[in-house]
Amino acid sequence: MTRRGLAGPAGYWVGFVVVLGLLTVAPLVLPEFWRRFVTEILIWGLLAMSSDLLIGYTGMVSFGHSVFFGLGMYGTAAALLALGPPNLWLALASGLVSAAVVAAFVAYFATRLRDIYFAITTLVFSQIFYVIIFTWTDVTGGENGLTFSQPPFSLPGLWSGRFTPVTLHWFVLAVVTLSYLGLRRITQSPFGMVLQSIRENEARTRAIGYHVERYKIVAVMLSGLFAGLAGVLYAIQNKFAAPDFVLFLVSGEAVIFNVMGGMGTLVGPVAGAAFFLVLREAFSRFFPEYYLIPVGVIFTLMVVFLPQGLLGFLRRRLNA
Amino acid sequence: MTRLRSAEAASPARTGGGAAPPVMLRTERLSMRFGGLNALNNVDVAIQSGEIRAIIGPNGAGKSTLFNCITGVLRPTSGRILFAGEDITGLPPHRISRKAIARSYQITNILPGATVRENVRIATQSRHHAWSLLRHHRSYTDIIDRARDVLAAVGLAEKEDDLAANLSHGEQRNLEIGIALATEPRLLCLDEPTAGMSVTETHAIVALIRRIAADLTILIVEHDMEVVMGLARTITVLHYGEVIAEGTPAQIQADPRVQEVYLKT
Repeated sequence: MTRRGLAGPAGYWVGFVVVLGLLTVAPLVLPEFWRRFVTEILIWGLLAMSSDLLIGYTGMVSFGHSVFFGLGMYGTAAALLALGPPNLWLALASGLVSAAVVAAFVAYFATRLRDIYFAITTLVFSQIFYVIIFTWTDVTGGENGLTFSQPPFSLPGLWSGRFTPVTLHWFVLAVVTLSYLGLRRITQSPFGMVLQSIRENEARTRAIGYHVERYKIVAVMLSGLFAGLAGVLYAIQNKFAAPDFVLFLVSGEAVIFNVMGGMGTLVGPVAGAAFFLVLREAFSRFFPEYYLIPVGVIFTLMVVFLPQGLLGFLRRRLNA
Repeated sequence: MTRLRSAEAASPARTGGGAAPPVMLRTERLSMRFGGLNALNNVDVAIQSGEIRAIIGPNGAGKSTLFNCITGVLRPTSGRILFAGEDITGLPPHRISRKAIARSYQITNILPGATVRENVRIATQSRHHAWSLLRHHRSYTDIIDRARDVLAAVGLAEKEDDLAANLSHGEQRNLEIGIALATEPRLLCLDEPTAGMSVTETHAIVALIRRIAADLTILIVEHDMEVVMGLARTITVLHYGEVIAEGTPAQIQADPRVQEVYLKT
């Protein structure tokens, strides 16, 4: 990090290093199932953080983040299936470009609307892409999706080798950590302050000279890009791209992660993702059929009794 | 206060010789209709550079509509608005703001969840480094310094770390003016700046307006006649969307039509 970051409250950086340390050692001590689980939490956490940029910082609720996530997956699949020998970085670039193109499209149209109309528009767009992907079997594999083999990890000219579950976890951890630091910096930049001003009072932000729509478009695009990155990671981890991940249920989960963990904190949504996934895993073992009922009850109770989310109480310190 | 606007070229009023100062804002046959209601009907006003102009009139006279047309919130049905000779009719609010027209609101309109300093800093920032994404906002000390100057000018320097929502009503009104000032305006439109204020607070805000008026052209809508008479040399009276009188405070007080309008309502 930069000098500026270190000058911030020491407690924050101590926490950062401790959590990062725990997540680094986790795959070395956890059994296979939980190792994989923690990697997945990080990926869903990245999706949650990306939507927090809109929900928590700009005050725009997106119900369409699955489309960015899904396009990240399909972009990755396309690069790995269509282009020469599988290359990790090419797959990453292809996934990001796919997500960015769709994000630009959605941003251009959806940001003309506000509040619930914006939310509905993002939902509609994601469903349009879902239907396209689901029905265009020749290209997307339709209902079955696309499967491919995992690309090797390579640092051009330096090192190359297959991913092991542990190194894959570290790779994901590195990408998610860098994304977190990038998103955090964006939210603290003058641009990020404009987004928060839009959240607090859109009309006033306009009146002091900001072209609000332009800021929203860039916010949606950035958010979509990071959501796409999460999709890329998920595709690489699971070696497939499937239409289920473009469906609005994934978007809904991203919103739930934010509400549970604490909007406008970036790390809150990651904690929310972890909490939600652990709950769902635990209940699905005891109630394989009805596990979503207790999860739903807990979510409802949290909205009522803990509206700030798990880490909402740290909001000021996390954004300092 | 001298650092608020670095370029002081904006006010030829005080540099000019005997000639009449140039017109800063002019509306030409400005009309705004809402369905069958003529909120503004062929309003012609000309505000000179450097003056404090008061707009008065009973409720529903069209004062706020006039403000909303000038600041781009409403697009006038017909007529033109000229600012420093340039046609600004129908421009959106952010473009108007960038032309150096600022406004404060009748109903306090601030960022409640942000600190006092942040409220002003974000307004200052709209003129500098607004599109920077990768540096911490605190590293732009030039903006923070400007914001502090504004806070000192409106008497809120002590409260800069407080949440705006926690300020008293009077302090929020001052912050309201601070936010407007931070955008470095040449024309400042104040919509009932003393609304809901105590007598002491009102005196303070009148003193504040006098101080900042040195660098600015001010258009003020106000109900408190004492405030109006104390500040403005020219008063425009609106009634049912039309200008029914314009003149010095003495002329306005003596005008039979104005007396009629105010006695009737």
